[in-house]
Amino acid sequence: MLAAEALELSSGWFLENAWLTGLLPVIGFAVILFFGKKLPMKGAEVALASMTATLVVAVGACIEWMQRTNSAETHSEEAVGLVQAFGRSLPSAAEGAEAEPFIEPVVTTWVWWQNSGLEFGIGSSIDGLAAVILALVAFIALLVMVFSVDYVRDDRRYTHFFAAITLFAGGMLIMVMAENMVQIILGWEIMGLTSFMLIGHWWEEEANSRAALKAFFTVRVGDVGLLVGTAIIFFGSNQWAVDNLDSNGFNIAAIQAWALSGEANTQFLLWGAVALFIACIGKSGQFPLHTWLPDAMAGPTPVSSLLHSSTMVVAGVFLVARIYPVFWEGFNIGTGGLSFIAIIGAITIVIAALLAFVQDDIKKVLAYSTVSQLGYMMLGLGTGAWLPAVFHIITHAFFKCALFLCAGSVSHSGSHHSFDMKKDMGGLRKKMPVTFAAWCVSTLALTGVFPFAGFWSKDEIIDNVGANGYTFLMWVGLFGAALTAMYMTRATYLTFFGEPRGAAAGHGHDDVHAEEHEMEHITVGASEPRSLSAAANAHVDDHVDDHGGDHGGDHGDGHHDEHAGPHESGPLILVPIVILAFFAVFAGFLNPTPLASRFGEGVELIKKYVEPRATPVVTEEYLASGPGESIVLVDGVAYTSAPSLSPSAEGGEEGGHSKKSGCGFDAPEAGTVCFFPGVSHAEPKFAKILLSLGIVAIGYALAIGFCVLFYGRRDKRLVGLTERNKALRGGFLFLKNKYYLDHLYENVIVHAVAHPIAKAAYWVNQKVIDATVNEVGVGTRKTGEWVYDNIDQKIVDGAVNGSGWAASEAGHAMQPTQSGKISQYGALLFGAATVGAIVLVLVTVS
Amino acid sequence: METLTDQNWLLSVGTFLPLVGALVMMFIPRGEEATHKLIGIVTAGATLAIGIVTLFAFDYGQSEKLQFFVDAEWIPVINSNYTIGLDGISLPLYILSMAVTFLVMIYTWDNMPDAGNPKAFYMLMLVLQTGMAGTFIAQDLILFFVFFEVVLLPMYFMIGVWGGEQRKYASLKFFLYTMFGSAFMLVAFLALFFQTGGDSFGFAHLVEMGAGIDKNVQIWIFAGMFLGFAVKVPMFPFHTWLPDAHTQAPTQGSVILAAILLKLGTYGFVRIAIPMLPEGALAWAPAIGILAVIGIIYGSLGCLAQTDMKRLIAFSSVAHMGFVMLGISTLTTFGINAALFGMVAHGLITGMLFFVAGSVKHRYHTLEISRLSGMLIQAPRLGWIMGFAAMASLGLPGLAGFWGEFPAILAAYSPGFGLSTALFRTLMVIAAIGTVLAAGYLLWLYQRTAFGEPSEEFSGHGGTHAGGGVAHSLSSAANDHDDHDEITDVTPIEWIAWTPFLVAIVVFGVYPQLLFKVMDPAVTEMVNRLGETLP
Amino acid sequence: MLATFLAQAGDWVSPTIDWHAVAPELVLAIGINLILALDLQLAETKKWMISTITGFVLLAAFVPVVTLAVVGDDAARSLFDGRYVIDDYALVLKGLFLLAAYVVVLMSQTELEEGGYYQGEFYVLLLCSVLGMVMMASARDLVSIFVALELLSIPGYMMAAWNKRNPKGNEAGVKYYLMGVFASAVLLYGMSLLFGVTGSTLLTDIGASLSDGNLIGLEVVAVVFVICGFAFKISAVPFHQWAPDTYEGAPTPVTAFFSVAAKSAGFVALMTLIFIAFPGADEVYEPLVWAMAALTMTIGNVLALRQTNIVRMLAYSSISQGGFMLMPLAFAGNPDATGSAMNAVMVYLLVYAFMNLGAFAVVIAVSRKTHSGEISSFGGLFGYAPGLAVAMTILFASLAGIPPLGGWFAKFNAFKAVLDAGTTAAYVLAAIAAVNTVIAAAYYMRVLRVVWMDDAPDGDTSPVNPPAPVVAALAITVAGTIVVGVLPNVVARVGALDALTGAFSG
Repeated sequence: MLAAEALELSSGWFLENAWLTGLLPVIGFAVILFFGKKLPMKGAEVALASMTATLVVAVGACIEWMQRTNSAETHSEEAVGLVQAFGRSLPSAAEGAEAEPFIEPVVTTWVWWQNSGLEFGIGSSIDGLAAVILALVAFIALLVMVFSVDYVRDDRRYTHFFAAITLFAGGMLIMVMAENMVQIILGWEIMGLTSFMLIGHWWEEEANSRAALKAFFTVRVGDVGLLVGTAIIFFGSNQWAVDNLDSNGFNIAAIQAWALSGEANTQFLLWGAVALFIACIGKSGQFPLHTWLPDAMAGPTPVSSLLHSSTMVVAGVFLVARIYPVFWEGFNIGTGGLSFIAIIGAITIVIAALLAFVQDDIKKVLAYSTVSQLGYMMLGLGTGAWLPAVFHIITHAFFKCALFLCAGSVSHSGSHHSFDMKKDMGGLRKKMPVTFAAWCVSTLALTGVFPFAGFWSKDEIIDNVGANGYTFLMWVGLFGAALTAMYMTRATYLTFFGEPRGAAAGHGHDDVHAEEHEMEHITVGASEPRSLSAAANAHVDDHVDDHGGDHGGDHGDGHHDEHAGPHESGPLILVPIVILAFFAVFAGFLNPTPLASRFGEGVELIKKYVEPRATPVVTEEYLASGPGESIVLVDGVAYTSAPSLSPSAEGGEEGGHSKKSGCGFDAPEAGTVCFFPGVSHAEPKFAKILLSLGIVAIGYALAIGFCVLFYGRRDKRLVGLTERNKALRGGFLFLKNKYYLDHLYENVIVHAVAHPIAKAAYWVNQKVIDATVNEVGVGTRKTGEWVYDNIDQKIVDGAVNGSGWAASEAGHAMQPTQSGKISQYGALLFGAATVGAIVLVLVTVS
Repeated sequence: METLTDQNWLLSVGTFLPLVGALVMMFIPRGEEATHKLIGIVTAGATLAIGIVTLFAFDYGQSEKLQFFVDAEWIPVINSNYTIGLDGISLPLYILSMAVTFLVMIYTWDNMPDAGNPKAFYMLMLVLQTGMAGTFIAQDLILFFVFFEVVLLPMYFMIGVWGGEQRKYASLKFFLYTMFGSAFMLVAFLALFFQTGGDSFGFAHLVEMGAGIDKNVQIWIFAGMFLGFAVKVPMFPFHTWLPDAHTQAPTQGSVILAAILLKLGTYGFVRIAIPMLPEGALAWAPAIGILAVIGIIYGSLGCLAQTDMKRLIAFSSVAHMGFVMLGISTLTTFGINAALFGMVAHGLITGMLFFVAGSVKHRYHTLEISRLSGMLIQAPRLGWIMGFAAMASLGLPGLAGFWGEFPAILAAYSPGFGLSTALFRTLMVIAAIGTVLAAGYLLWLYQRTAFGEPSEEFSGHGGTHAGGGVAHSLSSAANDHDDHDEITDVTPIEWIAWTPFLVAIVVFGVYPQLLFKVMDPAVTEMVNRLGETLP
Repeated sequence: MLATFLAQAGDWVSPTIDWHAVAPELVLAIGINLILALDLQLAETKKWMISTITGFVLLAAFVPVVTLAVVGDDAARSLFDGRYVIDDYALVLKGLFLLAAYVVVLMSQTELEEGGYYQGEFYVLLLCSVLGMVMMASARDLVSIFVALELLSIPGYMMAAWNKRNPKGNEAGVKYYLMGVFASAVLLYGMSLLFGVTGSTLLTDIGASLSDGNLIGLEVVAVVFVICGFAFKISAVPFHQWAPDTYEGAPTPVTAFFSVAAKSAGFVALMTLIFIAFPGADEVYEPLVWAMAALTMTIGNVLALRQTNIVRMLAYSSISQGGFMLMPLAFAGNPDATGSAMNAVMVYLLVYAFMNLGAFAVVIAVSRKTHSGEISSFGGLFGYAPGLAVAMTILFASLAGIPPLGGWFAKFNAFKAVLDAGTTAAYVLAAIAAVNTVIAAAYYMRVLRVVWMDDAPDGDTSPVNPPAPVVAALAITVAGTIVVGVLPNVVARVGALDALTGAFSG
């Protein structure tokens, strides 16, 4: 009863050559590395050029993808007509449902390596998700580079900085367009390496190199999961992939199809999903491996902004979204199972948000807020809210990047490279109006205030979490939203309101740093690596040498004259901030779900173009199809299974799950495969929106009140509360020390491995194994000496000496024969023979 | 197994050409050092040229067959022939040995070890080269054994004469250890010979007949070979000669040792032990796998405990060869491919690391990690190269190391021929953790040696702005003008010797198909043959 | 009365003698007399000619060996109804003995000139001993074997004590003599028993009567005693104690001569007996030889490990090498291994002759400069005499059995022969031997380590200039060692003599 129509999908140059987005930055990197220093702009121009080109390709790919999707719509209607011409009526057409064909990704691939006869490819596989993230990454990276041109000007390793940051973006792009798991690992690890280079950019300071080490190492721990997970998935799916799709177990499409095929072994799925998610925990700084992220602030601010907005940390989330079917099936997300992902996400939201309260370093506040926001994304993915989670990646990228750049701008021009809000900031809103505005807009977006970007995505996540039946997690999300509002308010207040302090007030900053170090050691204890401000400080000192002891000298712009006091940053810094702020405001309208009910589904661009359709595809046709084709499966089941239409999905209550069917819920019919599960979408309810907005508002209210009282008026009831109240003090320290996780990792685990255990192993090596070897040698020689002394010499030497002495005396040559020794020896010779003879007689004769 | 015999003079020439060079040098007085160096380099270069010709003459379409095959009478009395040939398994290693020797000789041009006497040094390297190349082309057990042993003496003298303080101890240890292994290996070879009817020592014949041997006998014979090869690899617990040998050997010795000599052992497993004794291999595989993984973890821990840079690198070899052996022990195409790739990768990367260590020693006159610091400031390029090699060594995708590690780990997930999956999956996870430790000790080493400010004792000698406008802390900036003992950056000769390594690491890392395409057919063929005999 | 005597003698017919066959022996005999005569005439200043002449005599004796080998390739020539046989086996060994002796002469020339010893007598005795060996190769009868043995031993006793002003020299002589006599006694006792129980001195007859299936105790005793008697000659443990002291005390060339030629002669006799006379008594001699082989190689090695004097070390090393040569004989009775056992021993003898003589040649060359036998005195040799050092390296590495030098093939053959038998005992012995190769490598490498890596003891790095004859000796031995190692077939073919037993059917 299956009737399949192969239909022509439009493709295009950009789609089919999207692999350039991965290649261009890498080339750029090489060029900068080898020729950068000789170029007029020290290599920055190469970075900008390569990233611009990348952006062009990526955007082109996005546009062509939209055309491709549209072409599918139109074609499918033609197909309908075609079929009717053959006199077969379409059940769906009867129901008036529109056909939602699966839009195949555009794949361009080359053989990369082969093993046991299987050939594994490398290349680009572009679908909506890949295309939009490519564009996002390229866009953000470009802006950050522009920002950096001014921000890190005159840095000692200016060229290396641009080389690294270009490769960094390249790594992310390679991963996003990945066609198979190994390519994902490739991009994944390139990011790891470059993050190491960038975080440790000022490696003269040990704190920075330690932070870099920590980042790489923590992520590497997670990567164990990546390797193992890839192995599990490969061997789970390979045979199936070879048989059904003529593909292999690394291919992402194959993995997706296998996971949803219903033939997949649940154990493989479960453990594969767990292992891979562990990798994501490490990469995306989820609890409990989030500790490297704040330390990563040791890197230059542009690095932090790029690393936190669109690359690196997003990689984990992207991986989950990319091979979503594996997690969907592995954790039974579709049937309302409480998934590992959701739990970790929820925990992360809260613990990170709480940590953000006790940070004095503005960048660390943002860092923890990132961790917390990533928690939202994971929560969404873990509860079946794929679309909002992905959407949140996009919106978050804009406003978080903006926030970081603002922080950079502040420290660059406002606080002499200090990031300490309490010591060196305050009251900057007048001095730096543009930065202030951008910061506020982004903050509103981050906290999810209507109609800023964050609202449309974060609220959707919370809404869908609830709609999918995870009521408790929904409340966690809401609570997190409130916390977000609070800590951001605090940060905003400390930075821009109140009285200018320290550098912000135009004071010299060395003394400040001095105290600051002490302060850190008191409160946090020596175990914590020294914060970036220390690094920046040291860096400035280094820099002083270049500039003949001008204490105003800094690693940022060279306008020394402007160093009288805080001032607004230059255009190269402000332009990117403004652009990002713009998107922080309006990016939400890419997918304004609540408006869909009024303006129709058409407004949900992301849903329409990015979310893959949960429509079965006929295998043969799939195999036959080139990059330019796709298949509509004209089949009743297929239609009713398109979840957005299935009435059961509408309500989104728990009850709904059981009634669901189609991709992701039951195995596709023989000869067909699914590539994406039928995720459900919550119907936006006005009440819920009000609720969340209200909670955010409350958060703001509380925070503002607190700030005014505590920081502004120094209200006696609040000031020093933590000293007076034991419980609070405990809590405060607990947070200050980041739940003591770092102590656990660095002082307990790492220290144990690096010192006692390794030492012990080495001791065994030297004292046991090697010693045995030497003993054998020595022993042999000892044996020799023993035999020689006791057997050889005792018997013979006497004879030797005797005979020698005697023979040397003329005429008495015969004497030794009388000496018993010779005869002894003769006896021995004869005796030996006799004994031998007797023994052998006894043995042989009889 | 059918063979291709056209142009089969190539292999013999390529293998024995170095001896000609050595012969010539023998008649030139020792005084003319430059001449000797020149002759040595030219000879090695010519050899490499032959190797490249071979590379082009090789028919990649049928790399599973033996090519340039020669089967001449040698010792008819014991049915041993001069049988040589090259297939996808041996080609990469054969060429690698030529390239490495050539580059090492170039490096030696102005990095002659203190003991001097280039005549002897170059002659030894040439003899060594013949031994190594011969081992990879031999297709007859006796011939293999002869070449396998030929490398012993030259390396013994290289370590013993041009080595460090405890060179005598280290060299003798190296020699006796290997001798011990190969003595039992010889017994095992003979046992195999007689068990297969005593007709021939030829590989093809033995592979054909070996499967017929009774299981227990196979296990015993395999044990003998295991001793011989495991010592060479080296596998835990036979590894203790390696750190001493590496630490004491001159840079050149370490590089050749790491790049080629260790591979003789693993190659022996792949080429001889496993195909000829399938059941023995199957019985031994779990033990090998376990020892391999112990080696990985144990080597890494050993690294973490080191205070000497060179010794640390030496221990890392133990860990990396552990991955290779893990791949082999799975008895799957996947694993063995990975192992072969791992051999080449480890050869290039660890060789490179030893080069760097040698140059560091040359400049700082110490390898104490605690005394080194801020190399990136004093010799930025050297520091970068070291970082590059370290990253490659810890298995970063896009660089060669990854392709030895990742597929090996992968393969351990489903070992072949009914080996215990439970066991090997455990091994897989442990091995994966090993990669973390690898990252640990390498980055730790890098952080302490390359990052930070130059330590006081060396900060006087600064190749200050060599890094291209690298700004500098006051102390060293002040001392810039009284540079008595300048710490120089990478010298031209070093660039010439190292660039091929670096390029190869990147090229094989970015496009591994170059190697896999050559090896895969041969390995697949071999594993299929195993499959015919094993249940 | 005279007539009656003649009448009685009448029925005695003199045996037909194949003069060609005994030509080597004759040449030697003539040479001996010639030199004796010359020695009386020559003035002290012209004594040096003697050694040259001796060399020529040996070469002259070599000619008929070659001709016999070329001409007499059909059937073996057998004289005195099978008591004296010239077959390939005999010829190869004769060639070996003559060659070894020639090299020894080369080595001894300067040694004796400088020592001012009695050259004439020395060479006469040397030739006598060689004559004995050459006869031994052909002897197929208890009596002829014994005569040959004494003929080669007695001159040895005197040569051992050659530098008589030195107490060590006297020790050497006296000890060698006394032990030799004991051994001869034991041997003779065994032989008489053998004759008693079998009623014949002809080896083939003895072989026949021993292989009648049931061995009586007396036969066992006889076999054991005979073997022990020869065990002394080949200095097998526990009959080895004389060797080190004798070797150390005797002039180095003589030591070389003993350790190679005399030892080989002992092995020849042993082989002849084992392969022809005792094939029936294999369960008697196999365990005996097995134990001797294991003990000899192990103890020899272990003792060599701790020697500081190079000559003593070589003495012990040659003991352990003897163990390796015995190893195949332990399985000579095994039908699978007979052929390869013979082959192995022959090859080993040939290769061993080359490398051991070479080793002694180096020692002579160096000690002419250092005047010391201590291993430490070789320090820095590589520095000031690279040529010698390399030669030494080659020879010692060969002794250690490292390919591609002759030694490896000898050892390899020994292993092969043993494993050919394929019994458990065989594998055990092979394992023991394997371990021993490592121990052996240890002390050979220790010497090389001194040569290459140590500094000259007293910083004396004046070059060594070895005399031409020694250089010639070195050249011969080194070349031989390498050639045998790279193209083992050269000796392997010579060693392939499974026809030995067959030679006595005719």
